[in-house]
Amino acid sequence: MSLSPYFRSPFTDLTGSLISHQWYGRCADMELKVLDCLEAYGVDKGRRKCEDLIADFQECAGRKIRDKRVIEMREERERQCKDGERTKENSYIPVKTHGY
Amino acid sequence: MAECLRQDMPPSGGYKPIYYKRIPAKTYFNGPALILGYFGITAGSCYLYYLNYASIQREELERRSAQFALYPLLLAERDREYMKQLRRNRDAEEDLMKNVKGWEVGTYYGKPIYRTVPKDTLIEPSYGEYYVHADYKDFAKRRHLAYWS
Repeated sequence: MSLSPYFRSPFTDLTGSLISHQWYGRCADMELKVLDCLEAYGVDKGRRKCEDLIADFQECAGRKIRDKRVIEMREERERQCKDGERTKENSYIPVKTHGY
Repeated sequence: MAECLRQDMPPSGGYKPIYYKRIPAKTYFNGPALILGYFGITAGSCYLYYLNYASIQREELERRSAQFALYPLLLAERDREYMKQLRRNRDAEEDLMKNVKGWEVGTYYGKPIYRTVPKDTLIEPSYGEYYVHADYKDFAKRRHLAYWS
């Protein structure tokens, strides 16, 4: 659990390292880069120096920018459909089932 | 009337003796023949079972070989369709957001998804992103396929 600077006990020390992205592949590389960077610079300086890496890792884990993009595109499509800029035929593109 | 009433009496010479002796059923096999027959029929069935089992194994081997041969082809077709769909998605996004001010394709108002990865890296979309320009029917179809198979 990531409570450690504020609340630290033997249990947080023991369980802090149990769950990480190293267990499953998607963000493992980015997490390692962030940890390497933080190890090199320390926490306080690392927050400035590793800002991009941390942001990338958080995006990979949390997918916030992606979700915002999806919401924005969906809203734009709904607006266009409502305003009549899109007809029923060209409002969606066909997607085959076995591609993803 | 007196002539009509006559007591029913045993036949002359008495009744026949009551036949109570046991008649055993006719036996076709004795004990050792039954046991030997059991073993013989079991051995014959085992042989038939072996024949059937070997034929099933051969069929499964053939089917597995066919699957192994087809798998790379199907995988390549799927990957090809995936890449094509990514292009179609990009074009659809360009077409959809052309009137939105400050929007750049593949980014959030010019803000890239990742800051440090190179520009030509393939960022694989999530399920919702992949189907964002698709009809809900297509989305649900793929989801049902994943859930029911």
